[in-house]
Amino acid sequence: MATESSDQSNLGAKFGALVNQSWMFIIFFIGFFLVWEYSVVVFDIPKYILTPPSDVVRNGWADLPKLLYFSYITGLETLLGYVVAIIVGLPLGMAIAFSSVLRRTIYPFFVCLEMTPKIAFAPLFISWLGFGLLPKVIIVFLVCFFPIVLNAILAFNSLSEELTRFCRSTGAGVWRTFLRVRLPAAMPQCFVGFKYAAINATVGAAIAEFIGSDQGLGFYIQIVTGNMRPDLAFAGIFFLTLIGLLLFGAVTLAERLIIPWHISVRRVRTT
Amino acid sequence: MPPLISIENVRKTFGSGASLVDAFGPVSLDIEEGQFVSLLGPSGCGKSTLMLMLAGLLDVTSGQIIVDGKAVKAPQTDVGIMFQDNTLVPWRTVRGNVDLQLEMRGLDPRRYKDRVLDLLGQVKLLDFADRFPHELSGGMQQRAAFCQAMVHDPHIMLLDEPLGKLDAMTRESIRTDLQSLWMTRRPTVIFVTHSIEEAVQLSSQVAVITPRPGRIDRLIDINLPFPRDLGVKNSPEFISHVREIQEIFRGYGVI
Ligand SMILES: Nc1ncnc2c1ncn2[C@@H]1O[C@H](COP(=O)(O)OP(=O)(O)O)[C@@H](O)[C@H]1O
Ligand SMILES: [Mg+2]
Repeated sequence: MATESSDQSNLGAKFGALVNQSWMFIIFFIGFFLVWEYSVVVFDIPKYILTPPSDVVRNGWADLPKLLYFSYITGLETLLGYVVAIIVGLPLGMAIAFSSVLRRTIYPFFVCLEMTPKIAFAPLFISWLGFGLLPKVIIVFLVCFFPIVLNAILAFNSLSEELTRFCRSTGAGVWRTFLRVRLPAAMPQCFVGFKYAAINATVGAAIAEFIGSDQGLGFYIQIVTGNMRPDLAFAGIFFLTLIGLLLFGAVTLAERLIIPWHISVRRVRTT
Repeated sequence: MPPLISIENVRKTFGSGASLVDAFGPVSLDIEEGQFVSLLGPSGCGKSTLMLMLAGLLDVTSGQIIVDGKAVKAPQTDVGIMFQDNTLVPWRTVRGNVDLQLEMRGLDPRRYKDRVLDLLGQVKLLDFADRFPHELSGGMQQRAAFCQAMVHDPHIMLLDEPLGKLDAMTRESIRTDLQSLWMTRRPTVIFVTHSIEEAVQLSSQVAVITPRPGRIDRLIDINLPFPRDLGVKNSPEFISHVREIQEIFRGYGVI
């Protein structure tokens, strides 16, 4: 009983704190856009250089069908590249962690590749594969793949010595040890990679579209900027941000569902 | 009857050449079935190393260890081990952690439900069976780790400083539980500690180990009757054992 009532008052306190923090943020947020809106007027900035946010909303709304369709295209490229990066990267990371041969061959190769900016490959892929969806998916894949693989290798290599010994002392086989201990123990570090990749996925898609495409938000932003329409460019950027937020939100949600016990998730929940 | 555990001239070194570390031994020691033997020695003398060798998790450099008439060559599965850091996993509840020991051995936790609850009851953790390790105090975590280490009813238990990181009050109360667990099931226990009082209170024998490379200096029989509660600490015999061991350590210059 005693703990229940203290839990409730805790919850109340947390809610109060949340409202307090959010109010500050909301005021800052509104203030930011007000300053933007009126400084365009006050400093008499030409509309083809910077437009007030009200124009962005109004003109973006008018162009909504196109923006939504291009968001769908860019979102699809992002999601496909990201999901394939996980499907390929996670098992490969595991294999490298458990195989000394792979660790001495592929692993150093990956570490070198990690240093090269993957975006630099975009023109090549577009020249090989044309303007379609595939080269963009590949670029997103490349951007996401390395953080996922490298974090997976780290994750499956860092079981504590004590737990390794515990597993050996039970006489459990490789497979049972993997399912019961190694896999769950590795999940938090894997999610570090998933989240990092999610943040960078839309960057890959947008830049690939800048370089060569006839649809998608990257294409849209480039065209409207050429037409001296920064208002529409901002609208495109807004939708690009939205795709990134949705992907990151989905990964964070998955993390909460899959590893609710982990400290990083617990910390978010209590503060 | 031959002793249950026989440590024969066991020595352990790490590394080689210029970086060779003489970690432990040579040591010979026989341990009879059902004894509670404490290994008492200064930090770094090789107690953990000996535990790992007894468990078959670390090879001996020379000599051999014989358990139940067989030389230890691979990880021993019929022992219960508590490592210096506990092996509770954060993604399982207390009960889930105890079940983990069973599942890893291919045993069905549902068939051992009564036993698990009985064990948790004995260490006063029944109300916390469905809590996660991070929701427990250090003392409760160690109690849970005891249950994890002995749920498969091992006939030998290797406990490496299970109370090392706890405060004095918690230590006292867990000692009592540990003693009653030992008395009801009567496994052979090898218990590492660096508290002289703790060793004398719990053990039937105390092996005093020298600084690194550890050797057994004395094997002292503690003949006080079990169970030994806090009152035993006032008995002249208890006090004289503690003094005797303190003198030995003073001789090494470690206290
Ligand atoms: N893997 C290892 N490599 C090198 N030296 C080690 C290793 N493990 C332990 N040692 C050394 O062996 C000695 C005994 O260690 P340990 O058994 O942990 O001592 P204790 O448990 O008695 O404190 C220490 O000096 C330690 O530095
Ligand atoms: Mg130790």
